Amino acid sequence: MRNIASLVFSVGLAFLLLVIAAQLGFGHTPMVVGTDILAGAAQDVGAANIVTAIVFGYRGFDTLGEISILFAAATAAGLVLGHRRAGAADDPRGGLILGAGAELLFPMLVLVGIYIVIHGHLTPGGGFQGGVVLAAAFFVAVIAEPSKRVNHAAIQVIEGLAGAAYIVIGIWALVEDGSFLKPMLDHGVMGQLLSAGTMPLLSSAVGIKVGSELAGLLAHISESEAGEP
Amino acid sequence: MNSSALAWVVNPALPIVLPLLAAFLLGPVTRVSAFVGRLLGPLTLAICVWLIGELWLAHGGEPFAVAIGTFAAPLGIVLYVDRIALLFAAAVPIFALLFWPWEVSGERATRESALLLILVASATGLALSGDIFNIYVFYELVAVASFGLAASNATGQAYVATIRYLLQSATGSLLALIGIAILYLKTGTLTLAHLAELAPSTLHDPLGLAAFALLLIGFGVKAEMFPVNTWVPEVYATAPARVSALLAGLVSKLAVLVVVRLLVLVFNQPEASQLLLVLGALGMISGELSAWRARDFSRMLAFSSIGQLGMVFIAFALPGEIGVLAGLAVALHHLVLKSGLFALAARWGGSMEALAGLGRRSPLAGAIYVLFALSMIGVPPLPGFWAKLVVLVALAQQGPLELAAMGAILVVTAIEANYLFRLAVVLYRKGGAAAVPASGVPAPALGAGLVAPLLCLTLLAATVAIVPVTEGLRSVARQTVDVAGYVRTVFPSAQPPLARKEWP
Amino acid sequence: MIPFSLETILYTCAIGMVVIGVFGLVLSNHLLRMVLALSVAEAGGNLLVVLAGYRGGAIAPIIGYAAPGTLMVDPVPQALVLTSIVIGVGVEALAVAILIRVYRAYGSLDLRLLVERMQGDMAKAAGIPRTTSTHAPAGERPLPPIPVGARHQPDAVGHLAPEVQS
Repeated sequence: MRNIASLVFSVGLAFLLLVIAAQLGFGHTPMVVGTDILAGAAQDVGAANIVTAIVFGYRGFDTLGEISILFAAATAAGLVLGHRRAGAADDPRGGLILGAGAELLFPMLVLVGIYIVIHGHLTPGGGFQGGVVLAAAFFVAVIAEPSKRVNHAAIQVIEGLAGAAYIVIGIWALVEDGSFLKPMLDHGVMGQLLSAGTMPLLSSAVGIKVGSELAGLLAHISESEAGEP
Repeated sequence: MNSSALAWVVNPALPIVLPLLAAFLLGPVTRVSAFVGRLLGPLTLAICVWLIGELWLAHGGEPFAVAIGTFAAPLGIVLYVDRIALLFAAAVPIFALLFWPWEVSGERATRESALLLILVASATGLALSGDIFNIYVFYELVAVASFGLAASNATGQAYVATIRYLLQSATGSLLALIGIAILYLKTGTLTLAHLAELAPSTLHDPLGLAAFALLLIGFGVKAEMFPVNTWVPEVYATAPARVSALLAGLVSKLAVLVVVRLLVLVFNQPEASQLLLVLGALGMISGELSAWRARDFSRMLAFSSIGQLGMVFIAFALPGEIGVLAGLAVALHHLVLKSGLFALAARWGGSMEALAGLGRRSPLAGAIYVLFALSMIGVPPLPGFWAKLVVLVALAQQGPLELAAMGAILVVTAIEANYLFRLAVVLYRKGGAAAVPASGVPAPALGAGLVAPLLCLTLLAATVAIVPVTEGLRSVARQTVDVAGYVRTVFPSAQPPLARKEWP
Repeated sequence: MIPFSLETILYTCAIGMVVIGVFGLVLSNHLLRMVLALSVAEAGGNLLVVLAGYRGGAIAPIIGYAAPGTLMVDPVPQALVLTSIVIGVGVEALAVAILIRVYRAYGSLDLRLLVERMQGDMAKAAGIPRTTSTHAPAGERPLPPIPVGARHQPDAVGHLAPEVQS
């Protein structure tokens, strides 16, 4: 009975979506907001990458909500998973290939991650993308050597301070100029690394936060017990 | 504010941002000083209450809009502050303070307090935001925080209930995202005021109705709407009672506020209202019938919550100012009532048979329960009576569908009276101390704690001051349905904002 | 005749992913498969949002790589999808964490079994006897239970009496 109802619901949803897709115009969308952002982004924000200009400028409030979601997920996972299991210090190493690969990959991934984070306003990239690559660097290290203890206290402090840095920059803009998250500092020359005002700072804060949070999340999952109930 | 040096404090972004800042810093601060860490959360909530009071005083009840980062709407995000937004934004930190986890300690306390602060910040954001995608982000934030809080009891059944809640919520959010994609494809904008302006020409067709249905299912998960409310009895029975109180009382009202904003501003069509009416009626009937069959207190409250929220949706589905007034009356009444009942349930968890004779041993708790029950059924002169009266009178003036809904509400009232008085009879039964069952269930605590009497006093105060409260709600409702005023506040310049541009 | 244009293919892929994900979510019985189906569905939904910004023949919205004035795609859906992907990642990570604890508590990820055990635990925590259970046999016992002492005694025909389960 439950399966029949579910099947009917899924088929109805599929039909609805197909009908919707048939009626929507593809490639002829009414770009009401998009056109004006494309025209004004250079002056308003000063970043060459307009998508990053939207993420950290026009819709910076959404980005604040987004980093909070990651923080809430990491906190909730920490609350749910609890302590390191007793046998974790005796976990075997990940093998020769994984160990050698990790030693090669770790510094390169960190470098690529930092590059993506700080060039976010010039080329496709930004805090989130680079932060995930940074977290991947730590994933590789954790998987290659699972017995090493991860310092959760340090991760909690780093992610807390990075998130607070994002908000403090916004409040500084509020105190100085009366508007929360207003782009401050000089716009500089577009295309240079030091341009677009406070945006690279926001991007870096987000990158550090995302990287540390996802690394901590994986460390929690790999350390928790999933053994016999 | 007198001094202009502190004029920046009166900004609607601060009640949203300060709890987030406190949540981020809670971990590092607790490591430095545990005492300051314990106080940081309640202190931040008190500051938020004060800030919202300042926002009210600064503009005296007139609506105003603030563009974040000086990016004017519709390019950037606007926060829209009017009476209904301030009403709900004020309720959030107050109720969070009432249900703060004082008894938890250690590492868990830091994490739970951080999650609760994030819940407060995102709920305030839901009330104040004027941009549909911003609302979606804050809605997801409320969801993730509530997943963590719902699982905080750390029992197996809590985890299973939470994962089912998570899957249902995530499916709903996916459908809401598709609804937002359809909105953006049809109109090209995300600001509610701009959508309100473009809606008559672009969204009054079946495609717009489909978008509304998708958004309704998405935001209806938290609002306990039929049919996405199967998570409610499981989560409310397995989560700590204070978490259930917050979810049932506070968070559901904010989800209802989001649906009302969409209905009033963007989807101002009779089909949308009828859909809401039908779903509300179905939810009300199914919820109250299940409450009648429930055998433990938390699940009875959970099902009755579904039923009452169904009635809230029926009320908001009525057109015009009277619909919003009726819905507000029922919603606020339910906010106080359900929070109070769950506060009682924190001490009375378990089978209703185990509560036998509790009313005689602890007269205050019994009296509070009876008062809440009478108000829920709708006995004059309690506020519940006035709220139901407004709903019934408004329904009687509409068409046949609404008359059927009116009949359903009357039937449901009879069912409510039955199961609420059944418990009252059990409470005042003679010789109840021996009727406590074995199996290691802790005996119900005597007394009613602090929160339940406080909320009971609020109910009594509303009873005494029913006329000014009704006038206040009427002015709130009048402002809410004023779509032209909303658009004028967000786009103050005389010329119309960006018109629809077609790609050549 | 369905025209096989770029539009049809892209929209079909996005909607197909959503439908496959939703089918997997509602029809599956294993919690991990439901989480994976959710992941697929969310990817489809994000693809649908990105497609909302497409303009034929336009380039990526980055200044400095083409002559000024070239047509660019709509950057807003891309920013929305960035947020949406991160939200999905957070929710799924939390789901996996809860799944680990569910497995630790009940030893299984089969949804029907878990709902049964959860209802049983909720009833036990509240001190209520369960009246409805899909696993308990309905009706009365057909035969009286065999007393404890009478074990391993073959009856007249030579069959052994069954072990008594206490």
